[in-house]
Parts: sequence; C-alpha cells; structure tokens
Amino acid sequence: MNRLSGTRIAMVSLALLGVWVLAVILSLNIGSVPIPVRTSLGLVADRLSGVSSGDPLEAVLFSVRLPRVLLGSLVGAALAAAGTAFQSLLRNPLADPYVLGVSTGASLGTILYSIVAGWAGFAAMGGGLAFGRPLAAFLGAAFTVGAVYLTASGGRRTADNSQRLLLAGIVLASFLSSINVFLLTSINQADLRGIFYWLIGDLSRPVDASIYPVTALVFAGVCLLYLFSHSLNLIGMGEEDALILGVEVRRVKTAVYIIASLITGAVVSISGPIAYIGLICPHMGRMLFGGDNRILIPTVFIFGAIFTLLADTLARTMLSPAELPVGIVTALCGAPLFIYLLHRRGRDK
Amino acid sequence: MSGGRFILEARGIAFDYHKPIVRDISFGLRPGTFTGIVGPNGCGKTTILRLLDGIVRPLAGEVFVDGERPLSGMRRKEIARHIAMVPQNGGLDPYQTVLQFAMQGRAPHLSLLGFETGKDEALTLEALEMTQMTRHLRARVTEISGGEKQRLLLARALAQRTPILLLDEVTANLDINYQVELMRLVQRITREQNLATLVVSHEINLLGAFCDRIILMTKGRVLYQGSVGEALTREHLQQIFGLDFSIRSLTGSRVEVLPVIEEETSYATS
Repeated sequence: MNRLSGTRIAMVSLALLGVWVLAVILSLNIGSVPIPVRTSLGLVADRLSGVSSGDPLEAVLFSVRLPRVLLGSLVGAALAAAGTAFQSLLRNPLADPYVLGVSTGASLGTILYSIVAGWAGFAAMGGGLAFGRPLAAFLGAAFTVGAVYLTASGGRRTADNSQRLLLAGIVLASFLSSINVFLLTSINQADLRGIFYWLIGDLSRPVDASIYPVTALVFAGVCLLYLFSHSLNLIGMGEEDALILGVEVRRVKTAVYIIASLITGAVVSISGPIAYIGLICPHMGRMLFGGDNRILIPTVFIFGAIFTLLADTLARTMLSPAELPVGIVTALCGAPLFIYLLHRRGRDK
Repeated sequence: MSGGRFILEARGIAFDYHKPIVRDISFGLRPGTFTGIVGPNGCGKTTILRLLDGIVRPLAGEVFVDGERPLSGMRRKEIARHIAMVPQNGGLDPYQTVLQFAMQGRAPHLSLLGFETGKDEALTLEALEMTQMTRHLRARVTEISGGEKQRLLLARALAQRTPILLLDEVTANLDINYQVELMRLVQRITREQNLATLVVSHEINLLGAFCDRIILMTKGRVLYQGSVGEALTREHLQQIFGLDFSIRSLTGSRVEVLPVIEEETSYATS
C-alpha cells in the first residue's frame, strides 16, 4: 500500500460517493414534512420517466429539498477542497478559507456587488449577470488574500511564516466582517434575520441563475487543483525541498492561491461564509487516507459534501419548524477541533 | 581524473542579496569526483550550493550544466533531473513512511498527474538499498534516528538518478561514527555511480579523509582549489581560520588537521 495508484483513489472515491448518496437520501427524507424513502425514490423514478404523479410532496422534494441538498454538497465540497489546498500551501494545519479571511473577503465582495447592482432585499440579492456575483466574491477573496499576505510579511519580500499569515488572516477577517455588518445593516434594517443568517453561513435562501457558473467554477477549479496535488505534497515538505525536487514553487503557489480563492469566492457568494468546513474536512481526510494530496483532494471534496449536507440537515431540523443557519452547526463542531489542534501544535513545538 | 569536461561548472558567479555575500566563484565538478568545500561559518558555502542548484540566481556569472547549458535557461523539473541536493534541514511529513518519502525523489520524472510507476518504486528501493535503509521501509519518518534521517535524505536524492549530487552539511548533528559512515557511503556511491559529488562541511578532517578535491573559501571568495594535500596546508588554513594548525600526512594524499591550541597565558598577563 505504499505506492499510490489511480485505482485505489478511484475505489475510495467511489465508496465515499456511495456514502454521499446515502446521506442525500437520508436528508431528502428528513424535514418539517417527512418524505418516506420509498415515496421519494418513487417520485424520482416518476420524474426520470417523465410522469408527473401530482403528489404535493413532489414540489417539496424537487423544488425545496433536492436543490438545497445539492447546494449544501457543492458548498461543502468546494470549501473542503479549498481548505486542503490552503493547508498544504501554508504548511499549517490551522489554515482554512474562513480562518484566513478569504471567506469574509468573498462576502464583502458579494455585498458590494449587490449594493452596486441594486439592492432588492436579501432573498433576491444579486444583479443582472449570473456570474457577476461570484466574480465579485472572487475579487473580494483575492483582495483579502493579498492584504493578508502583505500584513503578514510586514513589508518584507515574503511571508514565509505561516503563523503570521494566520494571525493576519484572523485580524483581517474580524475587520472585514465588521464592515460587512455595517454595510448590511445600514442599507437594510428590515431583513436583519436574513443578514444575520447569511453572515454565519446559510443555505436556506433560494438559488438563482448564478448557481450554474458557480458549479462550473467549482468543478473546473478542483480539477485544476488536482493537477497541482503532487507539487503541493512537495511544497508541504518545505519550499526549498520542493524546488530541489523540480517544482516551480512560485508559480504553483500563485496558481493554487488563485484557484482556491476562486472556489471559495464562488460558493461564498451563495451561502455566505460558512466556518470550519475547510478546516475539519481535510483533517478527517488525513486521518482516514493519509496526507497525500493526490488522494486527499478528491476524497476531501466528497467528504466535505457529506459533512455539510448532514450539518445542514441537522440545522434545518434541530429546532423544527424553525431553522438554524448551517454555519452554527459547523462552528459548533469546528471550534473545539480548532482549539484542540492549536493546543497540540503548541505542545509539539 | 583531471581530464574531461565539467558536468557542472560555476563561472564567475556572484550573489549579494542576503548575507553571506559570494563573489567571483569559479570551479567545476567532474564525474566520479568527490569535492569538498571548506570554510568558516558565514563564508557563503550554503549560498554556493543554492546557486549551483538554481534555487537562487547569481547576480553575475552563470552556472553551466553538461558543458555549455546555462542553468538559468532550464526549468526546475529539468534541473532536478540533472542535479540532486540533500538540504541541511529537509522537511518531513509525519504521515509518510520511509519508502514514501524517498519516492519523492522520483518527482521530476513523473507525468502530469504525478503517479509513480513500478519502475519508480524499483529505482527508489535501489536508492534505499544503497543507503542501507531497506530495513526501515515501512517505518514512519518520525520514528527513525538522526543518522537514519540523513541517510533517508540521501536516498531521496539518489532516487532522482542525477549525475550531480550536492550535499549541505550532511554530517551536522551526527555522532562521529555516523559521520564517518555517511561520508564513506557518499564516497563509495560517488565511485560506483560515477557521480559528480560536492559536499559542504565544517568537518575539515572528514573532507580531508574522503574527498578527492578541496575548495577553500573565505569571505565569499575561493582561496584555493586543488587536491586534498595541496589545499589543506598550514598556510591556507591559517589564512582562513586565523589559527595555527599541525598537519599530519596519512596514506595517499590524505591529511589530518589539528588546530594548535595555545595556553591562555595572554589573559593572565594583560
């Protein structure tokens, strides 16, 4: 089992996809209106064969629950993959898009775009172009990455110290999130609940046409990340080691930074900044499958989908009929893990 | 040994971005030759290795591979197929086994998706055998000793299958028996694989015992280069270290160097 083969990765990924399908079925089943598995499978079969049964549950299943389940999977998969990339890149197990401020920067981009494009309430947040909002989120994310880097480097040429990068990220994240709250509350005090939920990370709002470019971006981005997976392994050893072993370190770092920010920005433009998915999932993946990014990126991608899907199912059923934002659930799981990792890291030194 | 062209050659390279500064360094490495660089702390030894491997670019001069190919025109992957380097502080991933770590040396030879083939594994095993690490194949890299870790870093470099091998302070932090063992190993592999090997070290006597050629450095410049017997003389060493040395000839052109340590009488009188 020492040499990693494509077959092994495919098998593990397929097994995880099976778990994901089970999680999807489970989540479709649970909710304020329970839909028994047999009924939902029957409805899916009807849909596929082009028959409409007229069952009122059909609308719940296809217009409400299924889109949400798929959205949760997409957002979770993307954030988890981005987290894996950031952790390798910064050689720090505490890095993730949320901690680094990338998610918060992406939300700022989203909010600014929505203001410019014409604020029409939170539910219809967005504007004319389907890709406008994700693009603005990406720019926000990329801007934040740059700002974090500059802050951490303190005027020097490089910011090699990942501890400083994290610290800078945390500081900028709290700064930007204050700006976010300020902007949102000053333009729309009527929808404070929506604002509050979105800022924690929420999957309950209906999706608009931007879901298509976002989905395309996430899948294309993760495929591209995969091409850098072995280079990321070597960069994880240390940048000098990676150079010695033939990696164009600067180019790979820049590319991965941009791709991971792009993926993060894309999903945050829809869900808001959900905390800790990008932190927990890579660690779970590493514990299960080892630290090799060639197996980690695809498995964590699926794992993130499963984790977020289940977290969101919990979020919408725990206090049923009321709903919690999914970010509450992920933070409840993630914050203790973060503290544990920080503690363990401190002890190792 | 002296004829034939250089497989790696520095021509007048200089670097002064960071300290230590190096100026106008010229020398060449030939296949089958074990060369050592000697010099005090901060004279630019490690900087030279980094320049030779293209990790940093020289401000003046150029490094040539295989005669006339300038290093600055080569991609990292291409360089890594020609030059292997054992860094002073190699990183370790606690999740990796010894075999997985050494297999990283195959990285410059992999295809786009970066999967190792059976051939890569065979070459890695060969490198681990050369360095006597096969016993530990499945051990985690965190479980092996300091001496074994150095041999593992060497195995990774050998798995790269390059004609040129650069070693940065490989014997640092090792007990004397491991130092000798490692240098003997490098010497043997240099002969058997016909490598052009360059080692940087503080240990004058280790270099004096195992190298074929010595490059003496001081303050960022080459003071002298030549055979061990020619290079490690009392005059040269005095110039570099500011100490008096007693030199004892061993078999062949080998020498043993001992600093003459004076009594601290000057303190009492002044």
